This record gives sequence, structure tokens and C-alpha cells, in this order.
Amino acid sequence: MGTCSHKWEMTDILYGYLVVEGCSRCGGRASFFSTEAVAPVEQYKEGDHFWAHLTSSQATRFNLKCTKCHEVVHLDDLVGLMMSTCEQPGCYVANIAKSEGKMTSVYIALCADSSHSSGRCTSTASINALNEYFNQNIKTPGKKILVLPCSKCCSIDTCRGIIIADIGLTDIY
Amino acid sequence: MKTSELATKTGLKAINESEDKIIEGVYISDMASDIITNAKANALLITLLTHKVLIAAANLIDVAAIVILKGRLPDQEVIELANRVGIALFSSEDDAWTFAAKLARLGFNN
Repeated sequence: MGTCSHKWEMTDILYGYLVVEGCSRCGGRASFFSTEAVAPVEQYKEGDHFWAHLTSSQATRFNLKCTKCHEVVHLDDLVGLMMSTCEQPGCYVANIAKSEGKMTSVYIALCADSSHSSGRCTSTASINALNEYFNQNIKTPGKKILVLPCSKCCSIDTCRGIIIADIGLTDIY
Repeated sequence: MKTSELATKTGLKAINESEDKIIEGVYISDMASDIITNAKANALLITLLTHKVLIAAANLIDVAAIVILKGRLPDQEVIELANRVGIALFSSEDDAWTFAAKLARLGFNN
């Protein structure tokens, strides 16, 4: 329903682990969401890649459903959200954040292929729905959330931010 | 009820300076993933968390203020992040149950 002014709500909420792996051959990074009871840490070969576990943390996964037209945006291509704190010169995300001003907070939608070796990232439909969802609920006048795909980061290794994931108990304090 | 009034009535200590907001609900959680999926805008968020992920999650939801329990204080880096996004931080000596009971006595029932 193209004319619907969507009213999104979270649906299909799952709790699990955000697992990040690295390839010892190409240096690529990959991440995925696991609903297993314990985060998988096994090393394995996949084509030319040799993936090894780097880190994992508890996280959540969800889809967005419009309460008006019942359209569901499946966020299968989203593995997490990161609040950007990047200030690196030349970083697109940092520049956008600066130009948007202090009332805008930039969040990065992290896709499974964080090194983007596949050429894919979080879809435009997912990014649009995330922006609409988070902004429709804001009550502070002038405040804005801007969600960008991680392909806009200067480098997934050096672009600074805070990944929204549950930290260990020893890190709480 | 505004955050300033709540602070006075429950003995909260302000950690930073921020805008006075109207509290429209309460949510208690120590998990960022739970906060972004269940907390509502303008809620008072009660937590033991002091890590910067707390601010990243609370800002996304647009909570009214955060109360950190049991006298715990966040690092300066976390306070600066809260200042940057305009989130009020308060500290309470209470545990979650004691503070929740205070809120119930003040008429918060959701």
C-alpha cells in the first residue's frame, strides 16, 4: 500500500547473540544473529574464507509492522544498531552528523557483511522503515534519529560508535 | 510529573544538568536490547547500567530521564554523551524495588 503513512511497531522480537567473525585469509568481517542458547564459537571454512569467532554479545532482532496497512518490513539484513560517535575527517557519517546539528543522533544499521565484500548492505526499505519507526515515537521537540547503512561508514574497523548490545555482567558497573 | 519534581520527592541526586521533562511512564531494565524493544518515549528509565550503551539505547527511545540505582555513578565519558544528547541522569541510593515502591506511592502505576 504505497500511499499509507505508516505507523510502525516492532514485531517478531527475538533475543539472541550478535556474533562477529573474521576471516584469517582475507581479513573480512562477517556478523550474524544467533538464537542458540550459547553463542557459537566454532571455526569453519566457507569457500575461500576461514571464519573464526571474534566476539559475541546478547542482542535483539525484530521486524517492523505497519499497524495501518499491515505491511511487514523484514529486517533480516540488519544485525544490529550502532550509535555513531565518529568524528573522523572525511567520514561521510561524521560529516552528516555535523551538518545535521546537535538535535540529530546518527545510528548505523549494521549488516551481516560488515566488510561489504558481497557488495550488499542493509536495504533501502529497511533503512526507511527504521527511520520512520524511531522518529515517529520521539516526543522531544526538534529531536531526530537518523539511521544510515553501515556502507556509509569510513571503515567498519575505525568508524567510532556504540553498538547497542548487552554487555557482560562484569561490564555493567 | 516533571523530572525536577520527581527528583525532589524521591531524593534523587542530579548527575548532569538537563531540560526538565514530563515523565509519562516508567521502565526498569538492565539490558540495552530490552530497553530498545520495550521502553517508551518520555519514560523514566531505572537501571543499574552505567555503561555508555545505556545512553545509546535510551537516546534511541527518547526517554525522559535515567535513574541509576544503588549510588552507582557513570564515567565522565558517559555523562558527556548524555549531555550531548540531552538526557537527564540521576543517581539514587535505593535498589530497584525500593525506588519502584516510592514511585508507586507517588501515583506511578504503569
